[in-house]
Amino acid sequence: MTPTSRVRISPAALGVILVLLVIQLYLFETVLGAVLDGQRSVLPGAFGVSLALSAIALFLAFRSTVEHRPRE
Amino acid sequence: MTWWRRAFPLELAEESHFSRREFARFLAVVSAGFTTGIGYLWWRKKPLEGASDPEAKHAEVPVALGLAADLKAGQSRLFKFRDEHDACILLRTPKGELRAYRQTCTHLGCAVRFRDERLECPCHQGFFEVDRGFPVQGPPTRPLGAIALEVRPDGTLWAVGELPKPTLENLDRRAACPRDKHEVTA
Repeated sequence: MTPTSRVRISPAALGVILVLLVIQLYLFETVLGAVLDGQRSVLPGAFGVSLALSAIALFLAFRSTVEHRPRE
Repeated sequence: MTWWRRAFPLELAEESHFSRREFARFLAVVSAGFTTGIGYLWWRKKPLEGASDPEAKHAEVPVALGLAADLKAGQSRLFKFRDEHDACILLRTPKGELRAYRQTCTHLGCAVRFRDERLECPCHQGFFEVDRGFPVQGPPTRPLGAIALEVRPDGTLWAVGELPKPTLENLDRRAACPRDKHEVTA
């Protein structure tokens, strides 16, 4: 049987995802406050930033889990 | 072994194992949830309940508030503005200026009242100053919604619209603040 190794998420990547989530939480709270104050003009920019942060987090978390097999 | 283990003899090798990847995926999905929330706020054109809407498309219906001279310094009066649920408070500050605010506290929505030269939210001891409605003490962090006032030539006072929420940017530019254009000292 050929030995296999899975791609593991490094602690650094997990830390980056955690930091991104904290930024998202702060961003959402700020945007909600602004919307409640009637300042809807912040929404397009905030959505763009949030989308970019989410894309990075999703990429780090869901990147390839293909098992690497040593060359025969 | 507990009774339910004997009743359901299923042994999963990693039943208590929660991998780093699963945790990272959970965090990433939560992050995407925040993005969805912001997208929903953007997509939803209608203001949130209780939110300020100074750019309302519908024409405001002015509301008569009686004679301006009837309200003495330190006194207040309640009124409804847009509908029967839109409770507002009209007050005359100790300086003699008339101000009107939404009565809904920006913390958790309790009704504020005018007491000791400040607007007080009795639920959680939040206080707002009366000149601009800024929170000065307690849990609220956002200013009260302000109502534009107008004194007509016959001396009657009218609520005519909603003012934009004051921000730190327009604090130093008082002349640019619409509230100051409607400064009422009658």
